[in-house]
Amino acid sequence: MIDIAILVASEIVSAGLAFALVYFFFKAYRLTRFVHLLGPPIGFSFLASSYFFLGMSLLYENDVAVSESFFWLRLVTQSFGFAFFAFSYYFSSKTERTTKFFLGLIAFASAISILLVFVALIVAPPFLEVPCINVLDEYFRIANLIFLGYVICHLVKHFEPSHGTISGLIWAPLAFSLLWLAQYSSLIWGIDGSQTAFVLAHVARLASLTLFIYVYHSSGRVGSESRKA
Amino acid sequence: MFTTPLEELAVKVGKRSRIQIYFDILRILREELKNDKPSLTKVAHIANLPYDRFRKCLDKLIQLDMVSEQNGKFFVTERGFECINEYERINDFLVRMGLLP
Repeated sequence: MIDIAILVASEIVSAGLAFALVYFFFKAYRLTRFVHLLGPPIGFSFLASSYFFLGMSLLYENDVAVSESFFWLRLVTQSFGFAFFAFSYYFSSKTERTTKFFLGLIAFASAISILLVFVALIVAPPFLEVPCINVLDEYFRIANLIFLGYVICHLVKHFEPSHGTISGLIWAPLAFSLLWLAQYSSLIWGIDGSQTAFVLAHVARLASLTLFIYVYHSSGRVGSESRKA
Repeated sequence: MFTTPLEELAVKVGKRSRIQIYFDILRILREELKNDKPSLTKVAHIANLPYDRFRKCLDKLIQLDMVSEQNGKFFVTERGFECINEYERINDFLVRMGLLP
């Protein structure tokens, strides 16, 4: 069994990487002001929160009530994070007005959902039977796979090598594929308890987040190289 | 199709965010400076802007210390170059992420 400290550290590192991505994507939004670009920073904020909540859930694993509360929050925030990515790509070719309306709607829905989870966790009477969290975890993961699958399909469909070198454009679909693999591995681990799948899920997720950061930094490097030329 | 990089900078007619218009002006001015003949009328024409509107944008850029005027000639300042570089980097990043329409 993997040491709990390593797992908590993995969650903290993931949260840190995701927060760095929030900063990069928000910077991009601030500069271009395309409304659909609000999706990735919001999505990564949710993801960073979900990693933090999972870390807390692991840290307090001896206290079942606290641990499960954090796990619930993690489930909801993670799925909303992936949903925001999917909606951003969906709205990238739509009008600004439609995008603004729907992003506002999704943000409102996610805020209400998280609030409801919070309220339910605090005020729900103990005798009330809550569905098994592990079963729900699998449903949420299937939803995550659908959201990420949509993003990957969108990127592959709109792949235009004329926009730049193929090597430069391949990293984003690869990073999302790794996120997909992480979710898939977690699903497999949830079903059969495979340790390989569990390790793969963590490695793929960290690799994916690192790759997103690499995409940002390599964009800058290529830009400055071309300017020097 | 664009025949020169400068024409490519002239970019889209239609809706552009205000920030993008300022960056277009900066980039076109930078390209024109390479030819050593930055004519404002030509820059306004390439940027697809009426001269009065272009002039307002240029004044704003001067105010922001991104463009400087010396002896009737206009230059992109260090700050202006930094902004262009940053904009190009972010633009490249968004293209790589598949997030630009």
